[in-house]
Parts: sequence; structure tokens; C-alpha cells
Amino acid sequence: MTPTFPRITPLGDAAVTVTWSERIDPEVEAQVARHLAGLTEKLGPGLELVAGYSTITVHYDPVRIGYPALRDTLIPILSHPGEAAAPTSGRLVEIAVWYDGPDLDAVALQTGLSVADVVARHTGPEYRVALLGFVPGFAYLGQLDPSLVLPRRPTPRARVPAGSVAIAGAQTGIYPAATPGGWHLIGRTDLRMFDPARKPPALLAVGDRVRFRAER
Amino acid sequence: MRLIRAAGLVTVQDLGWSGLRSIGMPPGGAADRPALRIGNALVGNPDGAAGLEVALGDVEVEFLTSTVFAATGAVGTFQLDGTEMPAWTTLTAGPGRRCRLAPSREGRFACLALGGGIDLPLLLGSRSTYLPAALGGHQGRRLAAGDVLPVGASPASRPVLGTTGRADQDFAHPIRIAPGPQDRLFGADAFEQLAAGSYRLSPTSDRMGSRLVGGRIRARQTATLPSESTAVGAIQVPDDGQPIVILPDGPTVGGYLKIGVVITADLPRFAQVPLGGEVRFEWVAVAEAQRLAHRAADGLARLIHEIRGGTGR
Repeated sequence: MTPTFPRITPLGDAAVTVTWSERIDPEVEAQVARHLAGLTEKLGPGLELVAGYSTITVHYDPVRIGYPALRDTLIPILSHPGEAAAPTSGRLVEIAVWYDGPDLDAVALQTGLSVADVVARHTGPEYRVALLGFVPGFAYLGQLDPSLVLPRRPTPRARVPAGSVAIAGAQTGIYPAATPGGWHLIGRTDLRMFDPARKPPALLAVGDRVRFRAER
Repeated sequence: MRLIRAAGLVTVQDLGWSGLRSIGMPPGGAADRPALRIGNALVGNPDGAAGLEVALGDVEVEFLTSTVFAATGAVGTFQLDGTEMPAWTTLTAGPGRRCRLAPSREGRFACLALGGGIDLPLLLGSRSTYLPAALGGHQGRRLAAGDVLPVGASPASRPVLGTTGRADQDFAHPIRIAPGPQDRLFGADAFEQLAAGSYRLSPTSDRMGSRLVGGRIRARQTATLPSESTAVGAIQVPDDGQPIVILPDGPTVGGYLKIGVVITADLPRFAQVPLGGEVRFEWVAVAEAQRLAHRAADGLARLIHEIRGGTGR
């Protein structure tokens, strides 16, 4: 009988996704980090690994390797993950936020909290950067206070301003550039999250810790 | 090369970035990659030289030196000093001459390949323009009248070559799609809806994604996934049930359910569906998709080889 997790599923004909969980869970994140290190070390060139909260996706060229062969390569590596990497504490980055986002009132209404409570519960936790993605420098931060967890907006906005501080599911993050987006916008910051002239270009890196501070 | 006029979405594109998804940089680059590669072969460039991509409007350029050029992809109006010119053909024009290019109504992206390539600095290995973060290309933006772009030296002499374009691209055939990682979160009705329904490409579509309007796709449950890697061609299903298909500038990760993915072989054809145009889908197994990927890659390699060998029509 095949175990439920990890589950190996094709993402079309040029990528495969390995899933350990369908929830955001710090223990799963650590497991993903361990497998990511193992796969990076053991897989050959020409494969691109992208970590999610609870997944690793391997992008490949279907002209160079077929799905069955890649799957057969992945299974033994996933069965014997390497030693856990030493946990790194990461830098602590404080981000000043003006809590005046266009969805702030709606978030308060949907969560049954006051606007002040939404702000207090967003500035309360110390977050950890789980992954980067969406656009260059977009850091996914967890965990959000459970009382703030909402599904994404039913229809994404065509344009979210750069610097928007947003929440969706158990995640919070900052839009580095004006892009479409389906998250709830609760505030904004004037920090540049991504600058190609800066080294490194992204303000935040995986493993960094983040605190939000309310500006008045 | 100086831009006399640039309306719509006119950008510098090459074959984009590779290996940078983990910092959030998508593959980017030309939406119709075979068109750019064939154009580059026609003008004697390496595969990955940067050219102009024209969508939604038109572009008119003035050559500042003697330039070898070719228009490929969905070519509509293509003129040199007001005279209609053949697409998919090597052409040469001296300084001061003006070339105008607009995509056809049956497609979306036209490509202007230039001998020597557009010689802008590389950003993280590519000259492509990534508009969502205003990176790369010419000042990270779409081109405008008055812009001057450096073009590398054209080959001294160049035989006039032509090709009929892509014989393997049957634009009437449905777009083939293979399963996505969340396919088990959809019922049989959702798969049938996607394959049986007719969708139209919303005018709000851009280089990040093609938004489809049509029969609503329902998942078994309303679900928000922990964000995970997407792929070019991935068919995301938001709660409103109107699919969004990722294009080269699309997000590298996301939390929408992915019911399927446009197969590699059909990505260029899907990118060329015009705004407002109809899209039909057909499911294929991953093995069949990979067989088609081989066939498309072989066909394109053969065509490019023939052009480079000077044996094109």
C-alpha cells in the first residue's frame, strides 16, 4: 500500500510536485528543508528545485528525462533524506507598517474583530520566512494568528500596489512590486523588498525572522 | 534602432531566465519561444538573442545602421517604408528605413528578430523585460516612441531565406492539457467542463497569465493551499471558477488549485490565442504529452537546422 505522504504527482509534463502535507506546519517546513538539501545534493544538473511550504517541485526538461524515470530517481532519495541541517535562527528584520489597507475593514468584519485587534494580532507574532516566490523578493511569512486566517479573495485584484502588506490563509507577506494579487490588503510599507542593484537583491531570505511594527 | 511608434505591449525579450524560480524570478522571455528561435536563425543569430515582442498594438522602428531582420510569430501588418513585406523571411534594410510590425488578429504575439540581437546589458543572465517587477529589458518597461535600442552588428552578407513557419502547429486543434497536482480535488464534472466547454481569452490577460471566461470549474471543496510552485501553462482555478493559465511572467508560486497544465508542445500555440479568442482543451496523459514534447522539439530543431544550413525554402 502506498503511503498518503509524501505524494508524488505530475505538474503537467515538465514538473513534478512532492507533497508532504496540505497544511502549513512548522514541522513539515523543517522536513521540506531537509529533503531540499538532500535533493539538491543528489539530483543531477538540469533539474530546478522549488520549495513550497509543504512541497518540493522539480522542474525538468521532458525531452531529457521522462516522468517515470524521474519518479524512479526521486523515490529512493526521498526515502533516505540526509541529516537535518542545523537550525539557523536567521536575522530579525523589523518592518514598519501603516495599517490603512483597502481590505482592513473587510478583514475586521469577516473575522469579527475590531480594526485595532486585527492590527494587534498581526503585529503580535514573530514570523519566519518559509519561502520566496510569486514575484522576485516576495517572502511568505508564517504563522498568522489563527483568528486572522481567511481564504483568498474570490477574484484576484488585477493590480496590487508595491509595498502592500497582505494576508491570506495562515500566511502574510509584502508585495515587492505592483502585481495582480488575491490576498487581503491590510497595510503598506515603504521598504524595497527587491532591488536588483542590491546584494542580495531580496530584502528577506528563507529563515529570516520578521516583526511588523504599526506606524501612526 | 530608434522607435518611431510603440503602441500596446512592445518589449525586449529573449529566452528568459533559468534556475531562478527559487528567488521568485520566473522563466519570463518570449511568449512564443519557437517564433523567436526561428527568427534568430533567419537573421543568423544564436538561439537566445534578444528581439522585439509586439502584442496588443504595433511598433514602428527606424534602423540606424544596415540591419538584417525577420518577422515571425503572429505577424499581421509588416511593412518597410509602407510596402508590405513577407513574414518568416530574412530581409535587409539600410539606415533611415522604417519597419512597421503589428500582430495579426488571429494571434497575439509578433516577433521582430534583428541581426546581432538587441544588445542591452544582461540582468541575472537575460535581456528579457519582466514588467511585473519592472526588471530587465529596456529600463524594465514596455517600449515607447523615442527609445533608442543598441543592436549588435548584422552579418556582413546574408542569403535571403524564408520558411513557411511552423508546419507542426495546427491552430485549429484543441489545446492539450495534462493532469495537475490537485486533480484529485476536482470531480469528473470539473474535468468534463474544462474539456467540453468553450472558453474565451479575457482582454485582461497579459504576459503573466491568460484569464479564461466560460463555464465555471468547481472544486470538490473550497480550498486554499499552502503556496507551492506553479509552472508555465498551469491552469489555476480560483474560487470564482474562471481559470487563469500561467504565462512566462506569471508567479513562480501560488495557492490556487491547479486542475491541469497546458502541455509543453502546445504552450506556444496557447500563447498565440488572441484576446477574445476561443480556447478548447483536450486532456492527454503525461506520457503522451512527453511524446508530443519530443516531436515538437525535434520538428523545431530540424527547421532551425535547415534555416541555418541555408536549405530553407
